[in-house]
Amino acid sequence: MGKTAKNNKIQAQLTPKTVVLKIVKWILILFFAFYTLFPLIWLFITSLKTNAEYFDNPFTLPAVPQIQNYVNAFTQANLGRMIVNSVTVSLAGTFLNVMAAAMAAYAISRFAFKGKEALFALISAGVMVPLNALMVPYFTIFSKAGMLDSLNSLRILYAAIGLPISIFIIRGFMDSFPREIEEAAYIDGCGFYGRFFRLVLPLSKTGIVTAATFEFLTCWNEFVYANLLTSSPATKTIQIGVRYFTNQFTTDYVSMYAAIVIAIIPSVVGYVLFQEQIISGLTAGAVKG
Amino acid sequence: MKRTRRDNVGILLFLLPALLLFFVFFVFPVCFVGVMSLFDWNGITSAGFVGFENYAKIFGDKVFWSSLRHNVIWALAACCIQVPLALLMALILSKKPRFWKFFRTVYFLPQVISGIAIATLWAAVFNSEFGLLNGILKAVGMGDKATNWLGNPKTAFVCVLVYGLFYIGYYMVILMAGISGIDETYYEAARIDGANAFQVDLHITIPLIRYSLATCMSLAAVFGLRTFEQVYLLTNGGPANRTSILVLYLYKQMNVNDYGGANASSMMLILVGAIVIVGVRKIFSSKDD
Repeated sequence: MGKTAKNNKIQAQLTPKTVVLKIVKWILILFFAFYTLFPLIWLFITSLKTNAEYFDNPFTLPAVPQIQNYVNAFTQANLGRMIVNSVTVSLAGTFLNVMAAAMAAYAISRFAFKGKEALFALISAGVMVPLNALMVPYFTIFSKAGMLDSLNSLRILYAAIGLPISIFIIRGFMDSFPREIEEAAYIDGCGFYGRFFRLVLPLSKTGIVTAATFEFLTCWNEFVYANLLTSSPATKTIQIGVRYFTNQFTTDYVSMYAAIVIAIIPSVVGYVLFQEQIISGLTAGAVKG
Repeated sequence: MKRTRRDNVGILLFLLPALLLFFVFFVFPVCFVGVMSLFDWNGITSAGFVGFENYAKIFGDKVFWSSLRHNVIWALAACCIQVPLALLMALILSKKPRFWKFFRTVYFLPQVISGIAIATLWAAVFNSEFGLLNGILKAVGMGDKATNWLGNPKTAFVCVLVYGLFYIGYYMVILMAGISGIDETYYEAARIDGANAFQVDLHITIPLIRYSLATCMSLAAVFGLRTFEQVYLLTNGGPANRTSILVLYLYKQMNVNDYGGANASSMMLILVGAIVIVGVRKIFSSKDD
């Protein structure tokens, strides 16, 4: 790879020092890529082997790709049910979250009222609250509400924990377009609600998609509270499934790896499709300093 | 645009869902933890006020202190190893070497995969019998170094901690966003003065992104304090509490119905987190004023 780096930009000073630096640079770049990708690729290849092949040598390719491992993962662990649960929880959580966030962002961004910036600062500070430390109160709230072991508790909780970041993203977006647009709509007789639904909401599409993508990912990947608040097979999400496989297939490693691959695939596909939104969502709160 | 009474009602109505969720799941739980940490409570029978007894109890527990120590090591490792590596790679990729977008995508990938799936993947890497790590060691003729990585008290904590340190994508993306926001004219001035790439990075880029750096440092520290999934899945705190961390400690307190003690641990987590955030901000803002 040092070679391609050299050909990359032919600069005036190809001294030994710059050559060494380029080689070091490419070693670093490739190291981190290898570190990230190799275990994932290894996992995928292993999930297509037989257990005998895997025990014999962890580095060989499968003689015949064992699609059967994936069938096993689906049937033995009831994976289909978990995927459906995760999809409905993530969709509902994301919808609730984005609607509440967009409405609040509209009020905060487009109107002046007393204590508005203090309120916004308080909500934004929510990003720094260590949510894992709130196990007892969350458990107590849902137990008092009679909502333990129900997917609704996860839907509401996930909508809530993503609120600070979603409001932050959507408000930032709404702040960026001019007031004149609303003036025109106001003159045409558009009221508070009309301006929101017909004007501000469609105009904020990019910001909302960013917040929604990020929130969906949060819901899909959440483990701690799914683990704490649900217990029966009917309410298991896919992340609980991953944990469960590690106990379930103690000897059938390859099916366990197949199950992990299945749990990872939606995140990876979503990432490839919405890469820009995910990256800007994750960095939104961070870059302002 | 005239503000009507209908607008005021609208603002209130639109803020309501977000405020409700925020108060129920952020403000109330933090207050709840603070107040209930002063009560002896098992979650079922009514609570009795005990003052600071819960704190005295956890302060007298060796496992609490070792958990806290592990969290502090975790946070320091993230700040002193992970963030500097991310900075290094952000500086390299910001110069847009060949395929830089591809590498950015790859480095960020672990961020979109659930912590529990990543942890399961690494459980497979560290597996004592058929794991990738021991397989590599045997393949390069260092089979005698192979060990039960997660069961060995000497190696368990290092293994649980270290694999995440080389997933630098999140911080790298934040820092790259910071770097891309730097005004071109700074670089032109440096070029005219004849500064080389190293000097430019050291004297221009790094000082100008110090807010992004501060953000990364505080996020790294906070994530270090609230970490849970890795340890829960890989070792569950063992062997002999050698890998215990605070969230796991409070989770275990909850499991034995010591809700008062769990709240005291939560409060410690929240307090330490707040101190760290304020501390990091102080260090980074006092540098130039």
